[in-house]
Amino acid sequence: MSGGSDGPPDGDPTDTFVEGTGDEEPRITFYGGRGMSALPIGVFIVWAIVQTALWRISDTGGLIVGMLFGLVIGMFFVRGNWASYANTIFEGMTQPVAVTAIVAWIWAGIFAQLLQDGGFVGGLVWLADLAGVGAALFPAATFVLAALFTTGIGTGYGAAVAFVTLFFPTGLLLGASPVLTFAAILSGAIFGDNLAPVSDTTIVSAVTQDSDIGGVVASRFKYVIIAATLTFVGYVVAGQTMGGIETGAGAANLLAEASDPIGLVHLVSMGIVIGAAIAGRHIVEAISWGIVVAIAFNLVLGLAGIGEIVTFSAPADAPLAQPLADLPILQIVDDADAVGVSGSVMEGASGFFELSILVLLIIAAAQIMIRGGAFQAILDWSLENLATNVRNAELTMVASAALINAIITINTAAEVAIGPYISKIGERFNLNGYRRANILDGQTAALGYIFPWSGGVLAGYQAMEGLPGEYEWLDQGMLVTPIDVVPYVFQGWLLVAVFVVAAITGFGREYVTDRESEEVARV
Amino acid sequence: MSLFSKYLKGWRFRSSEPTFEPGDEISVFVAETNGTDGRAYVGDTRLTVEGAGPETVEKRVRVRVTEFDDSSATGRGELLEVVGESSYTG
Repeated sequence: MSGGSDGPPDGDPTDTFVEGTGDEEPRITFYGGRGMSALPIGVFIVWAIVQTALWRISDTGGLIVGMLFGLVIGMFFVRGNWASYANTIFEGMTQPVAVTAIVAWIWAGIFAQLLQDGGFVGGLVWLADLAGVGAALFPAATFVLAALFTTGIGTGYGAAVAFVTLFFPTGLLLGASPVLTFAAILSGAIFGDNLAPVSDTTIVSAVTQDSDIGGVVASRFKYVIIAATLTFVGYVVAGQTMGGIETGAGAANLLAEASDPIGLVHLVSMGIVIGAAIAGRHIVEAISWGIVVAIAFNLVLGLAGIGEIVTFSAPADAPLAQPLADLPILQIVDDADAVGVSGSVMEGASGFFELSILVLLIIAAAQIMIRGGAFQAILDWSLENLATNVRNAELTMVASAALINAIITINTAAEVAIGPYISKIGERFNLNGYRRANILDGQTAALGYIFPWSGGVLAGYQAMEGLPGEYEWLDQGMLVTPIDVVPYVFQGWLLVAVFVVAAITGFGREYVTDRESEEVARV
Repeated sequence: MSLFSKYLKGWRFRSSEPTFEPGDEISVFVAETNGTDGRAYVGDTRLTVEGAGPETVEKRVRVRVTEFDDSSATGRGELLEVVGESSYTG
């Protein structure tokens, strides 16, 4: 539909519409043409594929080096003054998209850690124990509880680790299919990663598409719940046909040992954040309320002490260390390496430090691509050949987001990289911010937990490899190979399918003229 | 909009060619321009925005619809004001 071959209704003679803002010249020129401005992000993508997919090293720090490497290589291809290139890096880094995501991540990280340290998973284990589900229904029940847990803490990787540690061995003992149990955990992680307002990918999808996080969560519920309902039915049916393995172990009392109903109070903490975000409160305000309530529950109910929330480890010769040594938040350490600050609050925040640096660098590289003209070239080609009408535009958005998330292990990084492309394609057809964010995050969450090189699968598998050392009856042969789980991550496959159908049929489609997403400026 | 109604919004199949009535005031992103008038696509509906020059491309503008043909899903409108930016400005 690009170009001006279609006339307006009254046959306007000046029918030569062209794209562009009148500022057509790229501000940075490259040897080799404008396509070379994609070199930094191209180097990063190749680096990310080699490191994470081919060598299976899921390390955000390594990706930071890859992005730095790409930015340095790109500079050597700049014509004329390199200062414009360097300035564009800073221009990109100071875009609101990056800083908004970082602020929200750090708040969300603290909240998630408080819930984890406050025994939330123990509460869910108690629920599973109370329900007394058998082998056939265990995968379906695991899916529901993992979905609930991830919706509370936001991080699907954390949920995969916590649930593999507790629910996977329990499933083995009950005689449930290990492949289905692991797949159900991953499906639950996808559900929460996609829907939780404190999820890193939810936050990125909202801020890159200029939308408020609460509105994004409410508007994506319809896609998520359709996929989840089918997923639940799928695990119930598959659970009847796929059996478990003989463990030779005695009574399945693993659940009872790890269960503690009091951790369920964090359903309230979780409800406060979700309710406040959807009611339109600023996301920092919403999560702050969740943090305050979670700390209060942890302290009042004895789920975690003040020292577990924050502890200062000071050297003995520090001026005020000895006089205040009785404070519960202060401990004196002899080992110089042990000096520091620790606890839920610190761990939660620091979990996002590396990702924060990475997102700054990726946004900088995207800005180089925009200023250098490669982004416009890709966009023009897409509009000419792929996104020729609104249905094809949405299918293009689904396919491009799915592809980049399928090949880059750390799905948040992939989502940041593809965000501008999704935004521009969607804005051209006046798709509103919620619809764009939902298409983007649906694929991001789904494809981040399916393939053997996906971050969520790697996190869960790593936890699983530690299980034989923990339980005498559990040997290496009982573990699930990541490749075996691929077809059974129902929530992932179904979520992608829901979006393909939604693009074709127009289900859930909203235009800017139907409803404008509330400004991300509120974030 | 209440908390609950936000969850229920959008449970429908939306046309790829939305229609408008003369007099409607809408907000749209301008996709392209011929120098004096702009073109906005709302799905596959095409709107010519009078007075939307190069400075409005990839900007969100407020438009008053002046005429609309349902059968061809095309229409015209006049530019009222620029009200917003693209998510990414390049």
